[in-house]
Amino acid sequence: MISPVFAVGELDGLFRWLNELLVSIGLPQPWQDVIMYAALSATVFGLLALIALFLVWWERKIAAHIQQRFGPMRVGWHGWYQTVMDALKLLQKEDIRVATRDKVVFFWAPVICFVAAFSAYVCMPFGRGLIVADLNIGILYIMAVTTFTVISLLMAGWGSNNKYALLGGMRSAAQVISYEVPMVVSLLAVILYVGSLSMVDIVESQSGWFNWFIFRVPFGPIAFVTYTVAAIAEANRTPFDIPEAEQELVAGYNVEYSGMKFAMFFLAEFINMFTVSAIAATVFLGGWNGPWLPSWVWFMGKTLSMVFLLMLVRWTYPRLRVDQLMEFAWKFLVPVTFANLILAGILKYLGYWE
Amino acid sequence: MQALEPGIVFWILAVVILVSGFLVVTLRNMFHCALCLILCLFAVAGIYVLLEAEFLAAAQVLIYVGAVAILIVFTVMLTSDLASESLIQHNENGTIAFVVCALFAIGVPYLIKNTGVWMPAKGELISDNVGSIGKYLMTDFMLPFELVSVLLLAALIGAIVLARKERS
Amino acid sequence: MEFQLPEYNLRMMLPEIFLFLWALVVFLFDLLSKRRSESAVGYLTLLGLLICGGLLATTGYGRGFGNMFFSEPMALFFKIIFLGSAFMAVGSSFGIIKQKIVNHRGEYFGLILLSTVGMMFLASSQELLSLWIGLELTTIPLFILAAFFKDDKLSVEAGIKYFVFGAFSSALLLYGFSFLYGMSGTTEIVAMKMNLAALFIANGSLGVVPLVAMVMIIAGLGFKLSLPPFHQWAPDVYEGSPTPIAAFLSVGSKAAGLVAFAKIFVNGLWAFWGAEMAPNDWGYLTGILACAAMIYGNVVAIRQTNIKRMLAYSSIAQAGYIMIGMVAVNEWGLEAVAFYVFAYLFANMGAFAIVAIVEDKTGSCQIGTYRGLSQSSPGLAACMAVFLLSLAGIPPLAGFLAKYKVFAAAISLAGQSQDYTWLYWLAGVGLLTTVFALYYYVNIIKQMYFSAEESPYRIKPNAPAVAVVAIGLIGVVLFGIYAEPILQFVKDIPAAAGVIPR
Repeated sequence: MISPVFAVGELDGLFRWLNELLVSIGLPQPWQDVIMYAALSATVFGLLALIALFLVWWERKIAAHIQQRFGPMRVGWHGWYQTVMDALKLLQKEDIRVATRDKVVFFWAPVICFVAAFSAYVCMPFGRGLIVADLNIGILYIMAVTTFTVISLLMAGWGSNNKYALLGGMRSAAQVISYEVPMVVSLLAVILYVGSLSMVDIVESQSGWFNWFIFRVPFGPIAFVTYTVAAIAEANRTPFDIPEAEQELVAGYNVEYSGMKFAMFFLAEFINMFTVSAIAATVFLGGWNGPWLPSWVWFMGKTLSMVFLLMLVRWTYPRLRVDQLMEFAWKFLVPVTFANLILAGILKYLGYWE
Repeated sequence: MQALEPGIVFWILAVVILVSGFLVVTLRNMFHCALCLILCLFAVAGIYVLLEAEFLAAAQVLIYVGAVAILIVFTVMLTSDLASESLIQHNENGTIAFVVCALFAIGVPYLIKNTGVWMPAKGELISDNVGSIGKYLMTDFMLPFELVSVLLLAALIGAIVLARKERS
Repeated sequence: MEFQLPEYNLRMMLPEIFLFLWALVVFLFDLLSKRRSESAVGYLTLLGLLICGGLLATTGYGRGFGNMFFSEPMALFFKIIFLGSAFMAVGSSFGIIKQKIVNHRGEYFGLILLSTVGMMFLASSQELLSLWIGLELTTIPLFILAAFFKDDKLSVEAGIKYFVFGAFSSALLLYGFSFLYGMSGTTEIVAMKMNLAALFIANGSLGVVPLVAMVMIIAGLGFKLSLPPFHQWAPDVYEGSPTPIAAFLSVGSKAAGLVAFAKIFVNGLWAFWGAEMAPNDWGYLTGILACAAMIYGNVVAIRQTNIKRMLAYSSIAQAGYIMIGMVAVNEWGLEAVAFYVFAYLFANMGAFAIVAIVEDKTGSCQIGTYRGLSQSSPGLAACMAVFLLSLAGIPPLAGFLAKYKVFAAAISLAGQSQDYTWLYWLAGVGLLTTVFALYYYVNIIKQMYFSAEESPYRIKPNAPAVAVVAIGLIGVVLFGIYAEPILQFVKDIPAAAGVIPR
């Protein structure tokens, strides 16, 4: 079975205390596990909710500054809790439900999207020992659960019974499936070198000076670039945001959603952006490794830098057409990533930079 | 090792698999059928996790849920006849098929349970199943592994031949 | 992690590797020549098959990839049959590719080659997993080839029917394999036999699970061999798919199914089944299916008006005759099977080649089209008559010797062992249905020769098709009169397959 890693670094003491408390009041073993898992999940969930709120605010500020305006300024210092207020507003709004919707599908789509976005964090190493469960299929698990996002988008498109939503959902599914191939293959180059799928193993193999995969091996930078491009597409962001192109599709798959359900889609989108950045940080940029500072600071710093990069790209470049998007994936990215994988295999076989 | 004792999780998964599998072949709306199929395949992945075959579970989700099921959903959406509201999923052979399937479903587990003759597995379960799957694919089972790629090539070319729009 | 890499010994599988690469060459040639060449791709394919045959002749016996790939007499003999059927199918395709297939000539020939590669790997595998994948590699290109006329409703219907039945039968087969694997803990056929024998000795019986596995495997392979009641796809698929593909299905794909059957049952589940475990379960089951195939195929073939459907039912019946040899697991059984398939190759491929020639000219497969053919094209009619007589089993043609050997194997085993007296009945049914079969074969000859009016069609076949008919004719006549070298060759097969003479 998957064994939970309860030794959670700096939070270790807190969880140890909770565990001892549960033992002392004499709960049976299964219930202890359930409560421990619930506590862990709640911690990760709370952290991610905070991150998502912060990212929304950050994106608005970056967009504003690129466009030479200030963005939110009123609520708190430089509007720092603007998104909290926005979220509260969304929670209170009327949940508008189209009469012609497909009831069950319409209801479950945002839920699945939300759950899929969060469940990737089961094996995300936030820092040394800061991981919920170090699965031995780590990165494969993340890739697998994030595929549910596609299904939720298709469900949202179908359930809304609206042509724009349906088109948006289908475009998004086609795009995510296409870009998943180069994304996974560029990660494979590194996995091949490490010889393990576990996120912790991948990070630990990059400890030491300039041992990050982006610097250490010749195929690293190529894989990093192809991964980043594919990741932007996976997160459905400009220049690959045709699923929700405002001018063509109004807002794509989520056009009929409002209030709480819209907020779930919206948060999930930002969580997905954080996920792909965190994978990039872990696999290519050395994860929590780094001198002097605590490990989680390094991890957050690297991940937020990646997020910053994605945001800059979003507010700088125009959107691609559907056919350009598909051609780019299949005729350029896929061959390049496969060539890169072969290069990695040859280098591994010859024994360089092990 | 208590892993083989079917616990509550197993029964939940089993019920989910059976109910969603039944819904796949009875619901009138093809899109709902496809979603139930996804649920069914996902629950099967859960069974694999219970059997400590994590790699198989991840591959199941990645391939069936992430690729096959989505293709099915696409097909449903792009085929106007399938996307229409109501669809009757049975024909006059339904009764015979049901009887055969029911006999099969009851008979095979019964036979398996009442036949004690199985080759016992050798030794412990391998903990690093990703590594050992990779090792076997690269050593003992290399020929089938390579043959599969020829098979996929044939299927790929065939799919293009059949699906391509011809210029006259 | 420690790695023990297997001994590859790629020399052993040189013909297969070559043929696979040649298929890629054919794809690329068609693409790079901008699809302009009408028949150059076809000649390229024929050349590849010839070279592959040459390589096969220089490959000795041995093994490669650890225990995965065996080059032994049965594999070698059947590989010759596969290459021969592919060669004759390709040779009779030239008319069709000129007239009907405009866009995908390279894919058409390349997929035939890939299917042949699958058959060859299947023939050499000694392990359930690679055997199954070989069978899939055989079948999947054929799904596409059956539906190759995309605008023709019958062809698309053929493709879909074959696909649905093929997929279902593969699933059954794999399910059966999983039971065998579960019982024996290995997928290697020889080790499986050892483990099952050990289990039998330890427990005194094997329970019902092997029976369940056998039923499923026989059902799965029954689809490939089109044995009733798993035959329904065959007539429709033969009728709809391009004629050379129908021919390839009836010989190549069927022979592949036979090799798989021989490997799983004769190699894996028979030998230790011997005296003490007498009721040869799969033998009974297969015997019943063979009986059904002979009766049903021959009776229904009489009523057909479309020659491709008639040949489909005839091939169902022929599969029944072949299975008699398979059930008779003595020193003559497998030998007879191999020789039967060899004779069937020439006769059936030749007959289909003539059907293709006539279809190219007339656009019809009705038996009525053959009326008076002897006056307008006497050579073609004579060849057709010879092929049909060989299929019916008339001496001195090869078909007669083949039928004789199959029946002789069954009767001799029935005389040797108390447990096999039922083989008398099987051989009796075989002899009786041969008489039925004569009726519909001779009916066509009657149409061609004893018709008052002259056929309006004056048929000039193209060179490769003539070559195919000539090969068929030589094979049918020569191996009917002088079969000694082939018989010498097939003598090794039962010994190598582990059928110990009693």
